[in-house]
Amino acid sequence: MRRCAKSRLLWIVLMGAIATLAGGARSGEAAESAAHVSPQASVTLISDVDRVAPGQRFRVGLRQKLAPHWHSYWKNPGDAGAAPTLALQLPEGATASEIDWPGPDGIDVGTVRNFGYENEIVLPVTVTAPATIRPGQTFSIVADADWLVCAKLCIPEAGKFRLDFPVAAASLAAGGDVAAAFAATDARQPERRQWTARLTDEGAALALTVEGDDITAAAIKSAFFYPAEWGVVVHAAAQQLAVDAGRLRLALEKGASFNAQGDVSGLLSIADGEGRRRWIEIAPKVEIAPGVGAAKTVSAAKIDGAVAEARSLPLARAALFAFLGGLILNLMPCVFPVLAIKAASIARLSGGALRELRLSGLFYTLGVEVAFVALAGALLVARAGGAAVGWGFQFQSPIFVAAMSWLLLAIGLNLSGVFEVGLGATGAGQNLAEKPGHAGSFFTGLLAVVAATPCTAPFMGAAVGAALSASPLVCLALFAALGLGLAAPYALLGLVPRLARLLPRPGAWMLRLRQALAFPMYASAAWLVWVLAQQAGDIGVLIALAGALLVAFGAWIYGVGQQGSGPRPILRGLVAASALGLAALLPQLGGAAAPRAAATTAAAGAEPFNSARLAALRQAGKPVFVNMTAAWCITCLVNERTTLSTAAVKASFQSHGVVYLKGDWTNQNPEITDFLRSFSHDGVPFYVFYPPGGKDAVLLPSVLTEAAVVDELQGAVVN
Amino acid sequence: MSKIRYSSAETPICSRASAIDRRAALIGATTGVGALLAGGALLRSGPALAAPPVGQPAPAFSATDTKGVARDLASLKGKVVVLEWTNAECPFVAKHYNSANMQTLQKEATAAGAIWLSVISSAPGEQGYVEASTANALTVSRDAAPTGVILDPSGKIGHAYGAQTTPHMYVIDAQGVLRYVGGIDSIASTQIADVAKAQPLFREAFLAVSQGRSVKNAVTRPYGCSVKYSS
Repeated sequence: MRRCAKSRLLWIVLMGAIATLAGGARSGEAAESAAHVSPQASVTLISDVDRVAPGQRFRVGLRQKLAPHWHSYWKNPGDAGAAPTLALQLPEGATASEIDWPGPDGIDVGTVRNFGYENEIVLPVTVTAPATIRPGQTFSIVADADWLVCAKLCIPEAGKFRLDFPVAAASLAAGGDVAAAFAATDARQPERRQWTARLTDEGAALALTVEGDDITAAAIKSAFFYPAEWGVVVHAAAQQLAVDAGRLRLALEKGASFNAQGDVSGLLSIADGEGRRRWIEIAPKVEIAPGVGAAKTVSAAKIDGAVAEARSLPLARAALFAFLGGLILNLMPCVFPVLAIKAASIARLSGGALRELRLSGLFYTLGVEVAFVALAGALLVARAGGAAVGWGFQFQSPIFVAAMSWLLLAIGLNLSGVFEVGLGATGAGQNLAEKPGHAGSFFTGLLAVVAATPCTAPFMGAAVGAALSASPLVCLALFAALGLGLAAPYALLGLVPRLARLLPRPGAWMLRLRQALAFPMYASAAWLVWVLAQQAGDIGVLIALAGALLVAFGAWIYGVGQQGSGPRPILRGLVAASALGLAALLPQLGGAAAPRAAATTAAAGAEPFNSARLAALRQAGKPVFVNMTAAWCITCLVNERTTLSTAAVKASFQSHGVVYLKGDWTNQNPEITDFLRSFSHDGVPFYVFYPPGGKDAVLLPSVLTEAAVVDELQGAVVN
Repeated sequence: MSKIRYSSAETPICSRASAIDRRAALIGATTGVGALLAGGALLRSGPALAAPPVGQPAPAFSATDTKGVARDLASLKGKVVVLEWTNAECPFVAKHYNSANMQTLQKEATAAGAIWLSVISSAPGEQGYVEASTANALTVSRDAAPTGVILDPSGKIGHAYGAQTTPHMYVIDAQGVLRYVGGIDSIASTQIADVAKAQPLFREAFLAVSQGRSVKNAVTRPYGCSVKYSS
């Protein structure tokens, strides 16, 4: 008897083995299939039941165990990669859902951000067994899956998996390792909460606002929005979070194919202070922010009429405005030091040959033109390369500011007579009919442009913005017109030399005038040291003053050498040493950190500018006054002192409940650059008032007056 | 500071004043302009991989292809230009080359007069990096038909175009305006069988541009392996 039973058993086992081999699919225990193993990943099909009852709902899942540093993908894989696919072959009458995707992580590979999973993940599918199966039968599921697993390289893999379930009257839950795997995945299962979400289209940015009773700053320390579709947001961009009681806001960068009518749903992943993460399903409503793409201007200010029109000006009118802007630039405090040099040279030529004067004027104009065109070219190249530049960008670099400060100091010392350059001591009897400094005039023109750029004259801001967004040829033409405006006064003197005759005859007054004109230079150098203090703190000031000491010492030594006393090689060596010292100091500024600006803005009753905050305030319907300023922009500082800090304006802000946002563009700030660009305005100062009720933005003129600001605020309230 | 006594006839002040006009302004202004340009160079660059906007002039580039021919976008005005970012070892690229899909697209485009440039932005040592001779050998062995293959190991052209994946397709019209940025087709997989099932987004865009029509889906999702820029 035993022998018969044994041989029957052997026969069954043998048939089972053959059947398994013939099946060709990886099959195994009911709870977990055989594995597809590679060096990067071991993948199986698992289920949360060992036995299936008729009509029962249970889950199967693709379980991926990944090697360290390898990842697989979510349904939206992010910038690169591909989502895994799972196709189930089910017996008749059975149905299966789509994959219930667990919440993903953001995985950065270089500059690319992927959405997916590391270590281990299960992609579950809910299966409903038909009611017609009977206990004793076998319910089989075959799955065809392909998935991509990547570290730096990507390996596509595919496998076929099989699970056979004995059918029983009652189901039996799987235990052990498989249950643990499901539990880990369930911890990532997206939740639905009573939260409302909206996505506001603000032009270049999107603002995601989510409201719910259980949103608090304590509960949510970080958040990230994973969109379900590609192209809604830029995946690799940082998402700035602001959390208040009951509401959170995320500032997102709009994606390449954002469509307000498309699917913008996704998962909001939030993490609390202990690092516990949750993923919340959200389907935001899309809204367009009021005022996107349109701005009304103050009708009272003629200048602002020009600002609005300059945005879509024909070339001739834009060029005219650029020319006028250049003219006005001559009066700006930035240009005045160079005006001092120009004045000194005019004084020299007042009794001299008219021809020299004309040619001097020509070469000066040429110098100005070359500098402006070169600057425009540099800006266009930088923009084409993707950099976020604006007008006056060179002053955002502390190294440039320090170098300029030393340069102005050196020129001031020259005007004061500490040293001369080039000729050495000349004897008496030298007359005026000497070779005129044509090269000197040319380079004086270059210097004038360098010093002028940070001061945005009223006409210049819009013209520059229009110029930089137009084609390169138009841009260069507009900058050339600007240069003509700047050079105009001196060029005019050259063209009509008779005007020079109006200047007094040479005399002792010329020396005194020259020495006096050194002081505007010293003043400008001092101002730049103050700018440097904003940019690089006390270390920056120390470096600037140490450099100034070296400049002064070097200048004195050079001057001593020119007077013919002392051994020349030693003096030359000392001057060279000073120059080397300066060169060594400059890189130190790169490391100097900017001091905290928060204190100063808070003191003025202003909040630091933040585009997410602006969007939130406008959603709330509050009136907002935005002031874009920079430490190196004199016009901005003058406006702040004379208008924005006065009692009348402050009272007006208070009584109308206006929130004052101040953007500091002293150093690079991409948010502020984007804000300026969205109005086609590429420099500072820039003043925008958003009336209450989320109405359109109103641009204020670059030269503010108390009356203009108060009237605008008043007018908005009345409306 | 030396004291100078002079009468109105003498003008030694002239030499001093002219000195500042000449050399001082010369040296000073040159330093100023130099510092200005240096200040510009010190700027941090903007967003790392933003694709250029469709409808705007495409970013300029100038390179020599693997056969020594100069390829300069400005000189290609008057022809439709196709840029294909590629990496022969990427399974997504292999899907389109092994199925002869890419070669068919290349032949169709070049027969229509377009310039097809395959760009390899893999950094030295990274997947996909090849020398010119290997690149030419691959072209022959795969029966590929690009007008030229450009090696971009520094990643300059890749960054200018925001190329994120291989393949990543760009179509530039005859006026130099970028008209299509995105994937080669609509199914992001490595299965050859999906080539026939997918919507051929790149091909539709190319045909629209070369026939002077507007492009329906001008920005689509690029899929593939990430471009192996230098890290």
